[in-house]
Amino acid sequence: MLLGASAGSDLLRALIQGTPAGTVYALLALGLVLTYKTSGVFNLALGAQAYVSAALYFQARVTWGWGIVPSLLVSVFLLAPAIGWVLERFVFRHLRTASAVAKLVVTIGLAVALPALFDLVVGFQSIAGQTPVGIVPGGATVFYDPFGVYALSRNELTAVAVAALAMAGLAGLFRYTTVGLHMRAVVESPRMTELNGIRADRVSSFSWALSSFFAGLAGVLIAPRFNTLAAPDFFNLVVIAVAAAAIGMLVSLPRTLAGGLGLGLLIAVFQTFLPRWSDSWPWLNTVRQNITPAMPFVVLFAVLVFWPAIRRSRAASDPLAGVDPPPPALASLSRSRGLTVATRAFAVVFLTITGLTVFFRADASWTFVVTQAVILSLIFLSITVITGLAGEISLCQGTFAAVGAFASFQLVNHMGMSVLVAALVGAVIASAVGALLSLPVLRLGGIWLSIATLAFAYFFDSVMVKFSWVGGGQKALEEGTRLPRPTLGPFNMNDNRTFLVLSIVLLVVVAFAVVRIREGTIGQTLRALRGSELGAQSIGISPARARVTAFAISAFIAGLGGALLAIHQQNVNYSSNFSPFASLFWLVLVVSLGARTVEGAMQAGAAFGLFDAVLLKGAIFGWILRSPERIPSFFPLSPTWTYVLFGLGALQFARHPEGLVESGKRRSTEKVEQWWAARHQGVEPAEQAAEPAEPGVIS
Amino acid sequence: MTDVPLLRARGITKAFSGIMAVQHVDAVVAEGERVGLIGPNGAGKTTFFNCLLGVIPTDQGVVEIDGVDVSGLPVHHRSKRGIGRTFQRIELFAEATVREHLLIAERTRRADGRLWKDLIGRGRPTVDEIERCDRILELLGLVELAEQPSEHLSLGQGRLLEVGRALMTEPRLLLLDEPSSGLDHEETVDLARTLRDAQADRGFAVLLVEHDVEFVADFTDRCLVLDAGKLIAEGPTGQVLASDAVREAYLGTAGAAS
Ligand SMILES: Nc1ncnc2c1ncn2[C@@H]1O[C@H](COP(=O)(O)OP(=O)(O)OP(=O)(O)O)[C@@H](O)[C@H]1O
Ligand SMILES: [Mg+2]
Repeated sequence: MLLGASAGSDLLRALIQGTPAGTVYALLALGLVLTYKTSGVFNLALGAQAYVSAALYFQARVTWGWGIVPSLLVSVFLLAPAIGWVLERFVFRHLRTASAVAKLVVTIGLAVALPALFDLVVGFQSIAGQTPVGIVPGGATVFYDPFGVYALSRNELTAVAVAALAMAGLAGLFRYTTVGLHMRAVVESPRMTELNGIRADRVSSFSWALSSFFAGLAGVLIAPRFNTLAAPDFFNLVVIAVAAAAIGMLVSLPRTLAGGLGLGLLIAVFQTFLPRWSDSWPWLNTVRQNITPAMPFVVLFAVLVFWPAIRRSRAASDPLAGVDPPPPALASLSRSRGLTVATRAFAVVFLTITGLTVFFRADASWTFVVTQAVILSLIFLSITVITGLAGEISLCQGTFAAVGAFASFQLVNHMGMSVLVAALVGAVIASAVGALLSLPVLRLGGIWLSIATLAFAYFFDSVMVKFSWVGGGQKALEEGTRLPRPTLGPFNMNDNRTFLVLSIVLLVVVAFAVVRIREGTIGQTLRALRGSELGAQSIGISPARARVTAFAISAFIAGLGGALLAIHQQNVNYSSNFSPFASLFWLVLVVSLGARTVEGAMQAGAAFGLFDAVLLKGAIFGWILRSPERIPSFFPLSPTWTYVLFGLGALQFARHPEGLVESGKRRSTEKVEQWWAARHQGVEPAEQAAEPAEPGVIS
Repeated sequence: MTDVPLLRARGITKAFSGIMAVQHVDAVVAEGERVGLIGPNGAGKTTFFNCLLGVIPTDQGVVEIDGVDVSGLPVHHRSKRGIGRTFQRIELFAEATVREHLLIAERTRRADGRLWKDLIGRGRPTVDEIERCDRILELLGLVELAEQPSEHLSLGQGRLLEVGRALMTEPRLLLLDEPSSGLDHEETVDLARTLRDAQADRGFAVLLVEHDVEFVADFTDRCLVLDAGKLIAEGPTGQVLASDAVREAYLGTAGAAS
């Protein structure tokens, strides 16, 4: 009934149409599985690697005017494997014993940093609307129509052919070469390697180079499908690859391949048939308009949540678990008493001075920036709860914040609710969304949980936001998603300083609450779970309940902060504030500075809000040199540096899970203590070692 | 039939990809009873424990606590019904001190952790809780270690802490999985003594998995023997340990080793 008479040829057309994308997805998915199986790294940076190759190819062809072959050689055959090799050799080889989740965070850092680093080094700038070139002449203009139903462009045909060739090459490699045999041995059973004396290092170096090569190839092949060469599109690609890999259960290469191809076809089929279905069911319209971009996330989410085997694979989610000693706990946070006191004292003094300075001296733009930093600190406390306390890496905190912001936008505009009340209700709604999301997701645990939250973030981004009851629909496109500033008794928050005070008050209240929760029953329960889930269950702790609570609290905080941010900017500004990529960056920022402490969240907030203004624009030199004219001329630096620095900062996460600042402080505390002890033992009689140890502690 | 046992397991069966780890094992433990569970390595003892508690799903079989079928319930529900356990490979909470281990167990037992209580600062341990915790610390001789993080404990101390953590939940049945493994003779004797004292003090039932025959003979009244997943003998400990079947299956190997 739904399929008309021409359904057969339509289906054929959809299948042909979906094949090029499908083969490229399969290629990427294979790259993902290769590194996962040989080094236990679930490489979310694969999309970034694909981007770098595609961008270099584009730059060489278009900007530098090179020919096809040299451009291809440099970008795909040289740069791509080199990146893979370097990543393995200098980053992941040292993380063999880190937990799978810690490695995931490192790859997220790379996903943020690599494209930015490339853009800076090569001076690459994507030009909006300029379609990337393919790897054959006339790729976009010559068409072939073998079955008379759909014309494939030469680019698309090439993509299919090259991807198929690459896969055949992989099969041949596995069959006929020593390193391939070894690789297959490792892929099939990581334990075998150690037993058979296969040089694991060599195998994993090679796998990384190969995986990166596949990524680069996929990037160059798929680039012509995009209007503009932009890193986020390539990150989306990796999400599709993850879905394919999930279908292959991260173990079987053939199934992964089938998964990638299948996804490509599925998307095309939906694209073909959905318009008809939505004639019958109008509500499908909004879904239809966004189904193409959302498809992989929907599939990924569905696979994760409904595919029972994934849930069962939970215990086996780290392929190296049997080989290496058990990974250390995500972080240890046994601070010495002195350090805690010193930190708190320093924080109070520092915040007071900064607060007073800003309040009395700063102009409007500085007040704006500082308020932003305060609100972001508040949002980041949500990461302190979910990652620091509960030990789960959630990649959809931005989405929770967006839910809070949109909810208060809707409540204020449609129900005439007072803004602050709306912000609270918005936070409650976000909290409910967080709890609901956590129910199916929690059974996954570990890495899959993070991936599922990522899928959710993208789903929200590409489908939910478009609904008018969420994002405001057409009207919002024209007028923006406006939110007014509140008035609270005699305080009119249209005044930026008054609003700053409100934000600080809320931040302090939330920070206080987080500390209480951490020290109270919920925090202790979560800590027990993090320490040993089996042990915790054996004394009657319900893991699901504790974690749902953590998700709800975290989403509440994020929602409140999101609403506050929207009120501050007087607009939700979804795409610049809360996109999935923002969630990733937030996570990277907070964990690299310290996810375990309230202080870490505040430093991250300050870094996020102020880094650009203070460091990159060179304002700090203006202050030091006491005149804005004397700021060195190479300022302002590109804001891209922020991504590079914090992305690379996340590399430290696996080794210093407590965060850079925290570990630095602990090290200096230890040094001071040692020095103190040495001094007291060595120079016992001379009792003049009375200098205070405090300065070292604070630094 | 009027007399419902504390724990009854019937026909517990579990296979791991073809290997029958546990096959149709029945077991009954009465209130306050001390029962041993012995068998050579890989006999399926730990797997049997895990089935009793629901850590892994069983393929077949029924577990009853106080005559109530708990087969479908998750681990924490079963422990709330009075079954505590220790682990062969210890499962302590990283980053927590000895006292904190006990306090969190106590708090969970009371089930009064509420968000609002944490928020108004009533999440901290009460005097009453600290007292109960101190009593257990004393019972197990861990008082000096109370403020030590669990990472600093020796294996023996860690095992004691696991016992203490389980005791805080006031179990009526304690499953002990090889408490002496990794300990030297002296430590084992100490541990056995402490366990006996604790058991005498609290009167909980014990199901003890143990390779140390002396320990088993000393501590338990009744004994089950598993071999290759099957229950091959059951009876008063003295008799069972002396029986030929057991010697052949179990002591044969263990005896040769020691
Ligand atoms: N998670 C698992 N996956 C696959 N096989 C398992 C698993 N756990 C146990 N086994 C197998 O089941 C059998 C029983 O193991 P179990 O650990 O229960 O023995 P055990 O009696 O406790 O031995 P031990 O005295 O060494 O502790 C063994 O053959 C073991 O290899
Ligand atoms: Mg065992």
